[in-house]
Amino acid sequence: MKRRDFLKGMIATSFTAISAASVLTPLSVLAKMGAKKQDDWLTTGTHFGAFKIKRKNGVIDQVKPFDLDKYPTDMINGIKGLVYNPSRVRYPMVRLDFLLKGHQSDTSQRGDFRFVRVTWDQALNLFKNSLDEVQTKYGPSGLHAGQTGWRATGQLHSSTSHMQRAVGMHGNFVKKIGDYSTGAGQTILPYILGSTEVYAQGTSWSLILDNAKTIILWANDPYKNLQVGWNAETHESFEYLAQLKEKVQQGKIRVISIDPVASKTQNYLDCEKIYINPQTDVALMLAIAHELYTNDLHDKAFIEGYSLGFDRFVPYLTGETDGIEKTAQWAEKITAVPVDVIKALAKTMVAGRTQMLMGWCIQRQQHGEQPYWMAAVLATMVGQIGLPGGGISYGHHYSSIGVPSSGAAAPGAFPRNLDEGQKPIFDSEDFKGASSTIPVARWIDAILEPGKVIDANGAKITYPEIKMMIFSGNNPWNHHQDRNRMKKAFQKLECVVTIDMNWTATCRFSDIVLPACTTLERNDIDIYGSYANRGLLAMQKMVEPLFDSLSDFEIFTRFARILGKEKEYTRGMTELEWLKTLYDDCRSANSEKFPMPEFEQFWRDGYVHFGEGEPWTRHADFRADPEINPLGTPSGMIEIFSRKIDRYQYDDCKGHPAWMEKTERSHGGPGSDKYPVWLQSCHPDKRLHSQMCESETFRKTYTVSDREPVYLNPSDAKRRGIKDGDIVRVYNDRGQLLAGAVLSDNYPKGVIRIEEGAWYGPVGEDGSKAGGAKIGAICSYGDPNTLTLDIGTSKLAQACSAYTCLVDFEKYRGAIPKVSSFSGPIEVSI
Amino acid sequence: MTTINTARAQFYRLLSSLFAKEVDSALTAELLSEKGQGFLQHLASEAAFAQAIEQINAQLNALKTEQDILVLSADFCGLFLVGGKHSASPYAGHYMEPEQSVLFGRYHQKMQQVLSSNELALHANFPEPADHIAVILAYTAHLCTQADTQEQLSFINDFLSSWINDFSAQVSSHDAGGFYRAVAALSAAWVRYDLECLSEAS
Repeated sequence: MKRRDFLKGMIATSFTAISAASVLTPLSVLAKMGAKKQDDWLTTGTHFGAFKIKRKNGVIDQVKPFDLDKYPTDMINGIKGLVYNPSRVRYPMVRLDFLLKGHQSDTSQRGDFRFVRVTWDQALNLFKNSLDEVQTKYGPSGLHAGQTGWRATGQLHSSTSHMQRAVGMHGNFVKKIGDYSTGAGQTILPYILGSTEVYAQGTSWSLILDNAKTIILWANDPYKNLQVGWNAETHESFEYLAQLKEKVQQGKIRVISIDPVASKTQNYLDCEKIYINPQTDVALMLAIAHELYTNDLHDKAFIEGYSLGFDRFVPYLTGETDGIEKTAQWAEKITAVPVDVIKALAKTMVAGRTQMLMGWCIQRQQHGEQPYWMAAVLATMVGQIGLPGGGISYGHHYSSIGVPSSGAAAPGAFPRNLDEGQKPIFDSEDFKGASSTIPVARWIDAILEPGKVIDANGAKITYPEIKMMIFSGNNPWNHHQDRNRMKKAFQKLECVVTIDMNWTATCRFSDIVLPACTTLERNDIDIYGSYANRGLLAMQKMVEPLFDSLSDFEIFTRFARILGKEKEYTRGMTELEWLKTLYDDCRSANSEKFPMPEFEQFWRDGYVHFGEGEPWTRHADFRADPEINPLGTPSGMIEIFSRKIDRYQYDDCKGHPAWMEKTERSHGGPGSDKYPVWLQSCHPDKRLHSQMCESETFRKTYTVSDREPVYLNPSDAKRRGIKDGDIVRVYNDRGQLLAGAVLSDNYPKGVIRIEEGAWYGPVGEDGSKAGGAKIGAICSYGDPNTLTLDIGTSKLAQACSAYTCLVDFEKYRGAIPKVSSFSGPIEVSI
Repeated sequence: MTTINTARAQFYRLLSSLFAKEVDSALTAELLSEKGQGFLQHLASEAAFAQAIEQINAQLNALKTEQDILVLSADFCGLFLVGGKHSASPYAGHYMEPEQSVLFGRYHQKMQQVLSSNELALHANFPEPADHIAVILAYTAHLCTQADTQEQLSFINDFLSSWINDFSAQVSSHDAGGFYRAVAALSAAWVRYDLECLSEAS
């Protein structure tokens, strides 16, 4: 048709749809008047660091380290991406089939399916209706809202607290005990040393540097792990690591890293290394103990005066109990550590002041309680516990432990529980004979086998029949094991609600997804320096919450409103009032020793500094007087033999530490004929677990062929025809994944590393995202937990056993699918 | 030619609204009404738009129940409300600067500048980056009746025609439902057509 005629026709037929959405509006008078004033630097803090940030035209523009952070990490380059990455959850959304059919939806569709945007009102009402349904039909045992994670920093907007307080006002629910970081360690150590130890302040670095002759880094990579912290991280420990490096160079301190791989710390310090076969550390420890004992090098006076049960442990050591003498020769066969190295190490440990520093990954395996227990026994035999630069620590790689605490009071937090006198709407506490608290890592077991009774830490746990789960600021589709098993379990859940900032895999396996805003989109306060508690930081809102996201406080205030409990929930206070109250309470508590300015002044300044703490030695008071300062164990002493644990009669956690073979172990262990390679899925170098994986620009600095790197021993790779940059399929009976090859001499034969926190992105055989919902689907990005084993460490802790994992790998020759992890829920492709 | 500009503006605004939010039953009814169909059928008389209009009408006529509307909403959601380069990102910045994989990037800032210097802003109920295609189409509508041919050409070339074909291709490869594939194709075809008209006129 001729253009003129067509255009004439347009005039004639043109119409305006009255109901059509309009997106533009005249600029308001106020906005017109708004002066374009130069934006100042504002402060905030995250797990990755404390920062000063400048905006431009309402968008975060520049990020620089907070003045007092002398060792910022390159994660600063990922901060803008935390806010502006395309994986942000932008609006409340509901899975289509759940919207249509509610608790009768087709749950096998979960994981990769279609969502519909809804309003906050609709979403929160659906959420509440589901809670009503579950509490009515099943009671509190049908709801598990107890999972936790690393959330985002801030004392006011703590995501777990807001969700649990608000949901707790509706009804009771199943909770968890323990965590994935230190599940086995925090359970066993109270029996042995009287405290969880893993989250306790440790001997000050300055004392270690001044007094220790030898530092043993046992499965410990502090240089990597100290990049992130629980609070606004100011990387206090790196100063000491730098000093340590110098001392190592000068030959003043020996650092020995016992590890299958050459860790980042080891390479940084250029220190000594002892290679050990994966999962065999307890055998090495026993052999060292045997050396000390048979050569009369153990500290008999210390053992006598400060511990219990050595005499019941010795027969096991000498072989009297089981016919196996735990000699260096015996250990060499299992660990591949040469006899002379074992003997020399034993001598070294008692020759001078020796500081043992344990990492956490070593207890994240089957029987993970044992290495921590046996390490404590070793430290006891060496006899230096409570001396500066001696003894044992389980936390120096975490959140500035070892940097002296200032002694100031930290601010309180938004309450997690109901206030006194408050009761939930559904106040039944009848869990139908099931346990109301279960070990944190056994929730998939519970879903798959409700009613089953298990042993856990001296008690019997009966798994509840869970029908609904709520996840707030945590990502179990990152931190839990065995993805395909999880898929099976999730099909049994009637309703899953997730509150998060990004479309994590957990969101994709949910029915209702609620968008929370990031740390940088809300006001809050937190301490900086973590365990050092160096000061208080104003976490200033940089930009308004993006899209339709809300702060956790706002989300659950609205939810509480629907319950008719808004005032109860907020105590009648606004966000700002809460902030001021938390600050003022902290100011009161610190009024004598750490004067703090008025809130307005503090907010203008951006922070208040508490100063430095005094150097301190862990267990020194116990050593000084074990009667006045007993440990929190039943006997008050170090328990080499634990009568309490012995009474449990657990076959996998006995009365004293023991070497027990693993269900799968590389380098000659069970299962290694079929799957010869050990998969190490340690904490990442460039993320906090799965946080910051979404920051696309930053992710590109480490991905290989778009995927998570898999670190390979060069000769293992060569034998399989794999070069740097190749796409590798890693697999076992539990699953399969694709990752990008990085060949490195840091990794010995039979060991590969894929860092956890790699976002799960299953795809079908045709590369389709829809096919990813199927059980067995390959992970397109490289999530190592596609392959890991989901069993409890033992009947004691029932904790995460991610490090007991055998795999094999090959060069991938199929059609390479696109990575599907970062694009939100997926629609069916044609 | 003020009335043709009004007509052009109305069409741009309609397209904008289709990308701005999900189709509801009210909008469906309007589009299937006599007036709505009059307009759509006229569009279909032009070869460049015929196929797309046919698809759109077929889809609209198939929307019989609330469930049908929800299914279409799920299409909208998966295409435009989530993800980035792996769905059909509606943001100019993702196509103009593909290495910049962020939201609220440079093109958002450029569009914000354009809007505020023309005393316009985003509606409070549209909390999206300013380089969203709905915004760009809406602003183009505004220019139809407020700016001269040269300025219109300049804006369309800088902010719309340079990426709308890529956008349409992206929608095409990700939309199983077919409705948005057609809307995107129609939009791209219309921009092409309108550009030619404007160029002739200038």
